[in-house]
Amino acid sequence: MDPLALGYLGAGLGAGLVALAAGLGIGRLAAAALEGSARQPEASGDIRTTMIIAAALIEGVALFGLVVCILMALRTPIA
Amino acid sequence: MKTSLVGRLALAFLLSFTAAAPAALAAGDGEELDAISHTGDGYYYDLSPFGKIQMPRLFVVRDADGGLGLKAFANSKKAIDSDVIGVEAHGVEAHGNDGVEEGDGIAMETQNEALVTDAVDGGHSEGDDYAEYGGVAPYYAHLVGENGNEIVLDLSPTRHLMFAIFAILLLSLLFLPMAGKYRKGVGRETAPRGLLQNMMETVIIYVRDEIARPNLGDKTNKYLPYLLTVFFFILTCNLLGLVPFGATATANISTTIVLAVFTFIVTQFAGTKDYWGHIFNPPGVPVALKPILIPIEFLGIFTKPFALAIRLFANMTAGHLIILNLIGLIFIIGNSFGAGAGYGTGVAATFMVLFVYALEVLVAFIQAYVFTILSALFIGMASAEHEHDHDHAEDHGLTPHDIAVASANGHAEPHKLHERTVGTEAAYA
Repeated sequence: MDPLALGYLGAGLGAGLVALAAGLGIGRLAAAALEGSARQPEASGDIRTTMIIAAALIEGVALFGLVVCILMALRTPIA
Repeated sequence: MKTSLVGRLALAFLLSFTAAAPAALAAGDGEELDAISHTGDGYYYDLSPFGKIQMPRLFVVRDADGGLGLKAFANSKKAIDSDVIGVEAHGVEAHGNDGVEEGDGIAMETQNEALVTDAVDGGHSEGDDYAEYGGVAPYYAHLVGENGNEIVLDLSPTRHLMFAIFAILLLSLLFLPMAGKYRKGVGRETAPRGLLQNMMETVIIYVRDEIARPNLGDKTNKYLPYLLTVFFFILTCNLLGLVPFGATATANISTTIVLAVFTFIVTQFAGTKDYWGHIFNPPGVPVALKPILIPIEFLGIFTKPFALAIRLFANMTAGHLIILNLIGLIFIIGNSFGAGAGYGTGVAATFMVLFVYALEVLVAFIQAYVFTILSALFIGMASAEHEHDHDHAEDHGLTPHDIAVASANGHAEPHKLHERTVGTEAAYA
């Protein structure tokens, strides 16, 4: 296959994998947060704050990968 | 306001067309609708159905004699038309003016011809296809010096810079009068008066009590001005990108890197001797692991602000790209499957765009909050003070006194007595 096509394919697959991984990670985080809030409703404010910080950190890592994929997809071909 | 839920939803649905309408009109003119150039930076300000405003260009140029000079032009077209700056034609840089190749030569000749005819004709109207500039609009073209001149620095103002300056002016306009009010005592001795002061005081107290104080303890007042500035600047830039015809200054890696560098500088200047000691001589670590851990700790000083920058930049850029690409989906499907499919996709895409737009507003607030709280965390970690009257290897034991104190406090997490120097307990102590 044309190397350029392989490059674009890699960028697309990478972006999909990044979204998948971020969804999994933040989903587990949200499940734990909800369970903790259900067990102890008076702690739900603290849990919500910590959940938002942790979600932003996980999303930050996911977006590192996404930035790499965008750079790959926008790279002008060295033709 | 007693409007019904249906009415409000209908209004939101109709307003979401304002995102799609400029796109439709612009594409109708035969112009290219480019998601990347809408999100990224450019030397023009895009008022889509009404045209583009080109921004002035400013260069530091070294001329053929080696002297440096500042050259300003009213817009990109005038810069190219002048003798000092030209468009980098394909192949001129690599091959020079001899050796004209098949594909490259055409562009070069067209450009040279065009420069001649342009001088003869003396200008032309807006909205043509820029064949003279090699098919690229002057504000997109890659400019280099010509006739022996060389561009040293491109200092041209860009769209994101203008919006960052606009955010600064907006914040000054809102907050400086308010600071004057506080200085006079309104809000300190008496209750705050006025809509703006009350609104902003809520947010400022939130930043102080939830973000700064838990992390900084008794050094809150020293670093609170910086944290408040960062929070409101990022929030304003993010929100400015969401209004029609706005651009997000924080969707530019330069802006976010500078903000991260500020956090880095404040963190390093807040560092106590303990901080540096803990990095280059981590306590409680077996000696064999230290050669591995010290480089990791040293790199960690730099990667943490870098992650701050990338997180903010990528969140802002990705949100805008998603919105523009979902709108572009309408045109893609319309071109591939006929106009009917395009209109159908239009309805579905508008709902998706509305959802992502609302998410973007939430993300704007969350990213400002996360940047601020991580900055506070780093500054707090750097400026934390421990008492070193014993070896850290003993750190894992809690004396009965600590547990008794903790249970008297209502089973809060037991701290050792000497470690309570930072945090809400210190603030209340």
